[in-house]
Amino acid sequence: MSLLQEEREIILGNEFVDAFDFDEVTEFVKGASKDLFISHHFSKKQKMLVQPRGGFPTYEKQFALYEYFVDANVDVLPLTIDSNTRLNDYGTAKKMLRLSEENEMDMLNGYPLVNHGYRTTRKMMTHFNRPVSLRHGTPDARLLIETAIASGIFEIEGGPITYLLPYSKNFPLDKAFLYWKYVERVCANYSQLNEPINRESFGPLTATLVPPSITIVIQLLEMMLSLEEGVKSFSVSFAQQGSMIQDIVTGAVLKKLAKYYAGKIDCADAAIHLVYHQWMGAFPMNKDSAEQLINMSTVIASMVGADKIITKTREEASGIPTKEANAKTVANTQYTLRILNGLPSVVDEEEEEILTQEVHAIMEAVFNDCADTLWRKVFNCIKNGIIDVPFSPHIINHNNMITIRDTNKNIRIIDRGNVPIPDNCYAYEKSQCDLNKDTTGIVNDIIHDIGIMQ
Amino acid sequence: MKVVTGVVGNDIHVVANRLMDLSLNARGYEVFNLGVNTYLEEFFDAAVETGAEILLISSLNGEAEGWSREVKLLKAKYKTLDNLVMMIGGNLTVGSGSAQDIVPKYKNYGFDLVCHQVDLNTGLDMLEAFMQERNAQ
Repeated sequence: MSLLQEEREIILGNEFVDAFDFDEVTEFVKGASKDLFISHHFSKKQKMLVQPRGGFPTYEKQFALYEYFVDANVDVLPLTIDSNTRLNDYGTAKKMLRLSEENEMDMLNGYPLVNHGYRTTRKMMTHFNRPVSLRHGTPDARLLIETAIASGIFEIEGGPITYLLPYSKNFPLDKAFLYWKYVERVCANYSQLNEPINRESFGPLTATLVPPSITIVIQLLEMMLSLEEGVKSFSVSFAQQGSMIQDIVTGAVLKKLAKYYAGKIDCADAAIHLVYHQWMGAFPMNKDSAEQLINMSTVIASMVGADKIITKTREEASGIPTKEANAKTVANTQYTLRILNGLPSVVDEEEEEILTQEVHAIMEAVFNDCADTLWRKVFNCIKNGIIDVPFSPHIINHNNMITIRDTNKNIRIIDRGNVPIPDNCYAYEKSQCDLNKDTTGIVNDIIHDIGIMQ
Repeated sequence: MKVVTGVVGNDIHVVANRLMDLSLNARGYEVFNLGVNTYLEEFFDAAVETGAEILLISSLNGEAEGWSREVKLLKAKYKTLDNLVMMIGGNLTVGSGSAQDIVPKYKNYGFDLVCHQVDLNTGLDMLEAFMQERNAQ
């Protein structure tokens, strides 16, 4: 038996798992409908796929949510996992699920997939027969993704960096890399049986003034860590940044460099897709304004040429959205996409060149680290601040990079910290901003820049 | 002057914490930032370790109330913290509440300075004035 299989048997021997049948799950994936695989829908390339967010504790409520989504002509269904499961606290999730089932109140902020188990969940997934995307935020997702794939969920979001640095203060980053290596290998193995399992990175990170160079570098590194384990279908992603031209430039450079770096590790045969998140920052309380913002995000996603868009709702500022509001966004987004025709092609060569140089410089610094494997190089570079994510709560993150918006609302780096932004690029970034301010002025600008959509 | 700061409890709201760090540094303080998700013991331990004169706790998600009740009790266990200036700021209640009710309550919990939904620079001006007055005495 391989080491991986031994580890799988330990993980799936968990007391909260009801007799995991490896052979039956393999047969299920082998014979599963192609419609369940988002990779299959991507390869047909008919339109930009629309995916909302959403997860409720009980089977019945999740089922009802999916019915609303299907009525709204959804392309990809979400399964958002509750926060206890994300932290591997299946005992609490179990208790809260029972309370939710016995009362009218939802005691969990998502679907506790491990507690429901794959036999139950698979009934829902095969009933709707649409691709499902697993949305979580789990540093140790080994049991969760085994359960997901066995349920017929063939897209797995996340990664060791993007699911840790925005969410955790002190979960060990090196452990996260190893847990995600398991995820990649399991996804790669299942991918050989039918259409490939798609992996998706979480580009929004902290969604707070993250410059495109940092977003792209982390997308590329998580892509490489996944492809080198054998994953054949991968989505890089980013969220609306606040300036349309910066989004267009980011999309273009991300697509170009994803292809380049996949080729560099002899993985050019893998399919790479681009996912765009509607505005992930602070939303307007006014629900009509929120709808306008969502609509504008859809237009920008089209300009960027995204393969999939992930939606928000008019209730974003007030809490977990109702299924009605959630389905309404899907219908509105589909409508906007249908009537958006004859889009111009916009290119800003100077900005693309600057951003490309920045990304190459950081990537080179990562590859030049003396460690022997890619994940260790990346680990070291986060530890020594070569990769620095603004507003990450994690203790390993340096927090020395400072960014603000220029007059066109592009995010610019005014203090590069230890990140190896080339001098000419750094000078260009700073030249776009008014730097004749004291720290109080800059802090006020940052507060303003975070809240631009409110 | 040395300041220990951080966000109390199971609260991960990091943005204001970073901005406070920047602003305190700009005002010439030596900042020891414990970041988000920090427990009361960690604050007091850090104050002892660094010899800080000021402890500036922030809170956004309404947890401050629960933690603050234990401030006096816990602080009394430390022998060297009697002169520590205690400040708390942010959104100090769950739901809505007025500063009129909230400020005296937190002063009772053992804080010298209480800022409920006060803008960052106004709060830091208050701290500066307070320290000047104290040092003049």
